[in-house]
Amino acid sequence: MDLELSDDQFELRDNIRAVLDGACPPAVVRAVYEETGTSDELWAQMTELYWPALGIAESDGGLGMGFVEIALLAEELGRAAVPGPLLAVVSQFIPMLAEAGASGLLAEVATGARVGSLAYAERGRWGPDAVATVAVQDGDGWSLTGRKQAVLGGVHADSFAVVARADSGDLGAFLVARDDLVVVAPEVIDPGLGLADLVLENVSATVLLAPDADVAGSLERVTQQAAVAMALHTVGACRRIFEVTLEYAKVREQYDKVIGSFQALKHRFADMFLSVERANAVGYYAALAIAENDPARAEAAHIAKAAAGDCQRLLVQDGLQLHGGIGYTWENDLHFLLKRAKAGDALCGSRAFHRAALADVLGLVPETAS
Amino acid sequence: MKLRFDESVEAFRSEFLEWLAVNRPPAEEIDADPPRSSAYVPRWAAAFTRRMFDDGWLVPGWPPERGGRNAGAIETLVYLEELNRAGVPRTTNPQGLGIIAPSLFDYGTDEQIEKYAMPLLRGETSACLGMSEPDAGSDLANLKTRAVRDGDNFIINGQKVWTSGANYADFCFLFCRTDPDVPKHQGISIILLPMDTPGVTVRPLTEIVAPDFPDLNEVFLDDVILPVENLVGDLNNGWRMANGSLAHERSMVWLMGVMGMESAMTELLAAAPGLLADLGPQERALAVDEIAGLHIDTVAARCLGYRGFARFVRTGSAPEQSLMKLYSTEARQQLARFAAELLGPDSLRTGTGRHGEAGSLEAYFTTFGTTISAGSSEIQRNIIAERVLGLPRG
Repeated sequence: MDLELSDDQFELRDNIRAVLDGACPPAVVRAVYEETGTSDELWAQMTELYWPALGIAESDGGLGMGFVEIALLAEELGRAAVPGPLLAVVSQFIPMLAEAGASGLLAEVATGARVGSLAYAERGRWGPDAVATVAVQDGDGWSLTGRKQAVLGGVHADSFAVVARADSGDLGAFLVARDDLVVVAPEVIDPGLGLADLVLENVSATVLLAPDADVAGSLERVTQQAAVAMALHTVGACRRIFEVTLEYAKVREQYDKVIGSFQALKHRFADMFLSVERANAVGYYAALAIAENDPARAEAAHIAKAAAGDCQRLLVQDGLQLHGGIGYTWENDLHFLLKRAKAGDALCGSRAFHRAALADVLGLVPETAS
Repeated sequence: MKLRFDESVEAFRSEFLEWLAVNRPPAEEIDADPPRSSAYVPRWAAAFTRRMFDDGWLVPGWPPERGGRNAGAIETLVYLEELNRAGVPRTTNPQGLGIIAPSLFDYGTDEQIEKYAMPLLRGETSACLGMSEPDAGSDLANLKTRAVRDGDNFIINGQKVWTSGANYADFCFLFCRTDPDVPKHQGISIILLPMDTPGVTVRPLTEIVAPDFPDLNEVFLDDVILPVENLVGDLNNGWRMANGSLAHERSMVWLMGVMGMESAMTELLAAAPGLLADLGPQERALAVDEIAGLHIDTVAARCLGYRGFARFVRTGSAPEQSLMKLYSTEARQQLARFAAELLGPDSLRTGTGRHGEAGSLEAYFTTFGTTISAGSSEIQRNIIAERVLGLPRG
């Protein structure tokens, strides 16, 4: 097992990071927070660079890269707390369209002409059991009724892949145009995520995955990609928290010494570093298992998201605490990263959700209770 | 990035597995005379070491005349994986094979290599590492055992402690102060000490569990006379060599830690359904969450270790060694703690041998050997903070 990035992957990461350093400095994130600007220009730059097309097959008009490269992108987007819909597009919408074999749609997404997201979670819960939105066959098409919550990039999307349940009890996936449903954008702590709730009342939809027993497997593959990308997105934010906190500890002086020379802090930095490395390593293990469609992919995905949850617990806690008062201010840029890391745990299944799912995969949950 | 090794590596694995199937020591011989100290060499272990040496499987990365076959780092990793998986102890003298012999190859004279290193590789002798002292534990450079030049000899006085295997070893790789008038890191030398030299007294230290099988010892040195040709490397260069020695040690530690954790986790998962079945729903839910967390730690240990290893193969350096030492030993300890908690009153039973059975409190206490020795967890955190993260020394 080789979990180190290849030279090409390092180069891709460096390229992405260089672009984001220039195009998405904290001032751009701040403008979105303070409603003095939008992420539109950034999105235009990303589509010019074909970032939405990275993970789309070449036959569908994309660049044909694997899921490890998508994971890299997700991590870098987290590192800069990037606002806008790209994470939703590459890690949620595209995997669903690919699963559905929707070549024409993928070609539109590749150019940025179509912007979409996945509408899956309901009533605060991520997972197939939570899906109560109903799909009813209506002539050649389908009609959907229900409510979706916390759709990533939803305020930017023109299309939604909505997961809904048919009379048979089987789940299916459906494409709904933005104009056909009601998008509600609540005020959230990280406005860069573009989170939206969707209200669907007898909304007409075209089928992506027709409801049947096999859809469960497709959904698992899609939601694993969403969860692992969100895990690495979270870890990306956490690594940046770690870096800026470490930089601060090397210059901030008290008692005539830099505070980073105190052993009480050194040991916390060692533990933070370990937590980031741990979550990063299992994150890429899961990305690789998905890229190679290994049988361990489900287990690995749960581990990756749960470990990212452990990581953000520690890094948000200590990152803010060790910054002291300066980290508590709105003027300091740290809070963009803190909020992105916390949001990362709340989305695509929390630490607790994935630990419980892992216990299930390991056979620790008795049949009657699962 | 890839999940599987190349075919050539798998062919190497198969070749070793075929050899191991024929040559592994019989389980009944191991059970009859188990490893009990880090320098006690049972007959089966001596014979196995000799077979590995003769057939080039002792240290695959070394040349044939030293018991190897010039294998690469990835092949060596695969070899260690399979030995661990088979439950076959590679050596019952890890300090001798893993630290002292390679240090002699790096710094010793031809005569020292012939007289001290080669018999270790052939399973004929064993050795111990004389580093720690009562006032030099984590602060190793503070050691006070004094070696004074007297004509063609050194006269040595002092005391070592926590010396693993001194009660069975044939010789000691002894760290001494040879110049008390320079900064403490600059006045240390390494001298080869045959343990039967007059003036050497070994007192085993009975350990926290399994008192019948002491491994740690105090070693008292009273006017011990050794010829100057027993000096290893240059005079007063011991600290630099010590860092080399410890690097040898740490480069091996992580895989043992990972595989030890994996086998402990496998045992826990096998025992869990039976143990969980007796619990009420709330208690069971708490236990299941702990097991899930420990399983994440186990997988993470492997991922961290193999990634660090991949970096080492590509760049020749692996700053994560301290990270892996810290992580794998502490995670393993937490696993042992929880396994005992889950087992309940049965965890209190004793007499389960030196390392203890899975789930026993003896096994839990034994794990402290790994978080205290070879640079305690606290020292590893300092090393990470200062050498990896660049925080200033306090």
